[in-house]
Amino acid sequence: MGTEELPMDEKAKRMRDLLSSFYSPDPSMSDSNNSPSKYASLDAINTLSFDPDRYMNLLVHKSNLEGLLQRHVEMAAEIKNLDTDLQMLVYENYNKFISATETIKTMNSNIVGMEANMEQLLEKIMSVQSRSDGVNTSLFEKREHIEKLHRTGNLLRKVQAYGDSSFRDCKRASEEAVLTIIKNLQGKLFSDSESIQSRAEAVVLLKQLDFPVDNLKSQLLEKLGQFLSQLQLEQWEMSTDSNRSNEPSNQGNAEATHEASMREFVEALRAFRVIFPDSEMQLVKLSTELLTKKLILLIHAGVVWTDVLLIDEVLPEAGLADFFLEAAHVAIKQYVASRFSHLIQDISDSLMAQTREKDGEEYSLLVTLEASKKTVLQGSMDVLLVKFENPGPDFRQLLDDKLDLLIKLKGYVIDWVQGGFQDFFRSLDDHFLFLSGKDKTISQDQGITDGLHGEKVLAGLVLVLAQLSVFIEKSAIPRVTEEIAASFSGGGVRDYEHGPAFIPGEICRIFRSTGEKFLHLYVKMKTQKISVVLKKRFTTPNWVKHKEPREVHMFVDLFLQELEAISIEVKQILPQGLIRRHHRSDSGGSTTSSRSNPLRDDKLIRSNTPKGRSQLLETHLAQLFKQKLDIFTKVEYTRESVVTTIVKLCLKSFQEFVRLQTFNRSGFQQIQLDIHFLRTPLKEMAEDEAVVDFLLDEVIVATSERCLDPIPLESPILEKLVQAKLARTKAQNPPTS
Amino acid sequence: MQGGSSGIGYGLKYQARCISDVKADTDHTSFLTGTLSLKEENEVHLIRLSSGGSELICEGLFSHPSEIWDLSSCPFDQRIFSTVFSSGETYGAAIWQIPELYGQLNSPQLERIASLDAHTCKIKCVLWWPSGRQDKLISVDEENLLLWSLDSSRKAAQVQSKESAGMLHYLSGGAWDPHDVNAVALTCDSAIQFWDLRTMKKENTIEHPHVRNIDYDSKKKHILVTAEDESGIHIWDLRMPKFPAQEFSGHSHWTWTVKCNPEYDRLILSAGTDSAVNLWLASAPSGDNPSESLVESPTRQSNPLLNSYTDYEDSVYGLAWSSREPWIFASLSYDGRPCAFILETCGHTGGGRISEAISSEKMKANSLVLWYGTIPSHCKTLLADFEFIGIHTIYFI
Repeated sequence: MGTEELPMDEKAKRMRDLLSSFYSPDPSMSDSNNSPSKYASLDAINTLSFDPDRYMNLLVHKSNLEGLLQRHVEMAAEIKNLDTDLQMLVYENYNKFISATETIKTMNSNIVGMEANMEQLLEKIMSVQSRSDGVNTSLFEKREHIEKLHRTGNLLRKVQAYGDSSFRDCKRASEEAVLTIIKNLQGKLFSDSESIQSRAEAVVLLKQLDFPVDNLKSQLLEKLGQFLSQLQLEQWEMSTDSNRSNEPSNQGNAEATHEASMREFVEALRAFRVIFPDSEMQLVKLSTELLTKKLILLIHAGVVWTDVLLIDEVLPEAGLADFFLEAAHVAIKQYVASRFSHLIQDISDSLMAQTREKDGEEYSLLVTLEASKKTVLQGSMDVLLVKFENPGPDFRQLLDDKLDLLIKLKGYVIDWVQGGFQDFFRSLDDHFLFLSGKDKTISQDQGITDGLHGEKVLAGLVLVLAQLSVFIEKSAIPRVTEEIAASFSGGGVRDYEHGPAFIPGEICRIFRSTGEKFLHLYVKMKTQKISVVLKKRFTTPNWVKHKEPREVHMFVDLFLQELEAISIEVKQILPQGLIRRHHRSDSGGSTTSSRSNPLRDDKLIRSNTPKGRSQLLETHLAQLFKQKLDIFTKVEYTRESVVTTIVKLCLKSFQEFVRLQTFNRSGFQQIQLDIHFLRTPLKEMAEDEAVVDFLLDEVIVATSERCLDPIPLESPILEKLVQAKLARTKAQNPPTS
Repeated sequence: MQGGSSGIGYGLKYQARCISDVKADTDHTSFLTGTLSLKEENEVHLIRLSSGGSELICEGLFSHPSEIWDLSSCPFDQRIFSTVFSSGETYGAAIWQIPELYGQLNSPQLERIASLDAHTCKIKCVLWWPSGRQDKLISVDEENLLLWSLDSSRKAAQVQSKESAGMLHYLSGGAWDPHDVNAVALTCDSAIQFWDLRTMKKENTIEHPHVRNIDYDSKKKHILVTAEDESGIHIWDLRMPKFPAQEFSGHSHWTWTVKCNPEYDRLILSAGTDSAVNLWLASAPSGDNPSESLVESPTRQSNPLLNSYTDYEDSVYGLAWSSREPWIFASLSYDGRPCAFILETCGHTGGGRISEAISSEKMKANSLVLWYGTIPSHCKTLLADFEFIGIHTIYFI
């Protein structure tokens, strides 16, 4: 059994035995199983019944000299081990003892300190008690005094109760009087039969009586409003009447009554203004508000304008028409403005939903884009419909009446709506810029509240904005233009001087440039992010002392991950472009690839020879012969174009970073390996394989130029390392995903 | 080259990054440029624009021990210049003097006046006292700012003061304020730092990442221009450092360097790794110059890019205005081909020349014309025809 046990276990067991033998007074306890062996065995050495002589005899008998010697050596070693173990034990115990003594010592000293503390505490408690006693005694007098005061107070209250009832009667009577006065005054104010002066006086009096005048005012306004609608109804009936019966006398009659009621209305308005002279602004505002509400109805009724005109004729000095027109201006203008500002808010909300929703959802970009598109289009249509459907036909009808005023108003409305759209799209553009954090001055003005400005603008949002701008340019504005053309063919008032207020061409241009700006911004943001990865990669190691490349550096993973993320993001929103990849065998691609590869090899070999002097000349020659590839082509609104642009820019950055370093041979080989690895995935990602190939070659060339000893890795080794990397990535991400 | 302004070319043997205007040479328009070759013997070329302005002539060719990463000419002595160099892992900076009789020597050697050898990490650039004869120099390495006093007669340079930019601020370059000789702006990874040389303390910072290059406007105080990797060019008014005063789109790839014109403020040149040099005109600060309202046209406001010179084969890293003839600039692309460009100009005086210019054939060929000064009244009618005849690239400064 002992032989089968692991040596470690044996040792542990022995330790345990030793320990127990050391601590237990009764040794039989530990050795109860090991019955004293009567028969001779060499294993009996650890038992209690160990007899040295017998053991020796047995040993001498059993073993040969070699065995004995070996046994001796073993024994010696064992003895030594045992010695050290015992020593260790003693030492440990001693240590424990020392620490125990120390603990006791510290406890002792702590207790000594505590005693003093306790004494102090006791002292303090005593002093607190004595002080509280002192306070008690010193306050005793005052307490008595207070009690006395309280008693007097009670007495006084009793006395007051007697006198009080009479005071209260007086007060009640006077309040009643005030109430009646107020009531009378109110009645006076509301009765139309009273003169304006007296009503104004009443208001002043009411004010003096601290009566809430504002309340009255609003009541009065309401009354005015009622009056207005009543008036309107009356007019409407009247106009239908007059339409039915064409008798001039009747019409004249009706007009006379109508005129009277209109005059009454004006009178009421005037009275109101006189009565509340201090709150004219408020009045204007309220009345405009009222008018706004009524306005569409009014316009609908269509007739009121004739009245306005009539009144204008009768009472030119009242300036009613102007006033009314002005009110209408303000109302419609406000209405249009608020409509548009709401629309901007809506769009902004639907855009911001993107940032609020966490980026976990894959389709959130698409959702945002669609929502925003819908908001833009629907919102603009709503504005158009409300403004055009209701007044539209009436305007046309009114146009037949050839009333100057109406034409004038119609012109204004056209201008407002068109100008509204112009301003709307302009401010939408500004708002987009603000959202993207590009226009820092605006965010400075408005104060950064959302916390998404500065560096933290989501690239996805920028992409959505870019696409939305395109949508506005391509679809929304033509739609709006069409609608405007359909509803209002005539020009506005300012036509002759400035041209129409809504210039779709200009807005389109603005949004086209904004869209491009956003697309560039997106590309820029993404490139910047990758640039940071590249920069870290190139500034961290010492390239002159680089170790031999063992594997593809892990930064390629980061690089590819970023690109992958971009293509996912882009795939959500941007449309697919024309597939050009399969046409790579046409002339443009082939010339470049034939240029780059052999030349690169040439160059690498050349640079090793001492005749490297002509190297640059050759590069020049090569550049003369090569068709200059335009790396920085225009970005288009397609997935491929955006991804390709980003890949190209990053590879160019790669080259530039390389040019800032100096490499030893291994450093060069590392770059060569990394580039070799990147070649396949990048070509898959980018649309233009030739350019990617070219740029990757350029990186290698740049590295070899910056290398002290540019000897490339053999391609089998390259391949092997790349395969190893691929195998590892595959193992990490099983193909199930 | 585009826009009728053709460049005047020259060729170096090797790749190169830096070119500097020889400011102290008042008789000629000349530039110094140095090569960047890891394995070959590097050279410094002194090139001069011929008097006719038709070619660049090599005036001197000197060998230089290692590849040159930065070169700047001394503002008061045309024979002195500084270089920052490295080879492999070693680096250094030195002040050199062109030998006096170099025309008669077979292989003229540059004379090393002083080594700026107090650096412990990679040196980035050497800045000369912005103007006048002051033997002060600044050298910037990745971590420190050093102020030297140069004694060219005793051929020695001594560190006057040295200050560390602080941990984790890798300095990348800097510019000496020409309006305030105690102020130096330094660029680092994430910010622009402003140092006061008297106290050697950081006075202010603008948190603005990825700055590649900065330049002070030598005419307008408080104006600083920065070039960034991805985000183009920004103009800062240092009185309002929170936000850039203006922003240009820069280049398709990194904007490597910016240079303000030494004479005409708001005229800015930039070079980038997209193998292009762009000429920009910043819009005037509002209310600065009311006389200019005539030529404020909406097209110019929206596009500050005056011209783009794109006929380069490789990234352009070197750029220098001539201070003697501030309508000439030199650019240097990585393939070692310096190019000088002359902007066509009309003079300060008289309406005769402008009307001449307007009516001349050259103008119709879509050329870039810079007009300095006010526009004579009798030319305004002529100017009115411009848009009409379709010449849009005429800018009046």
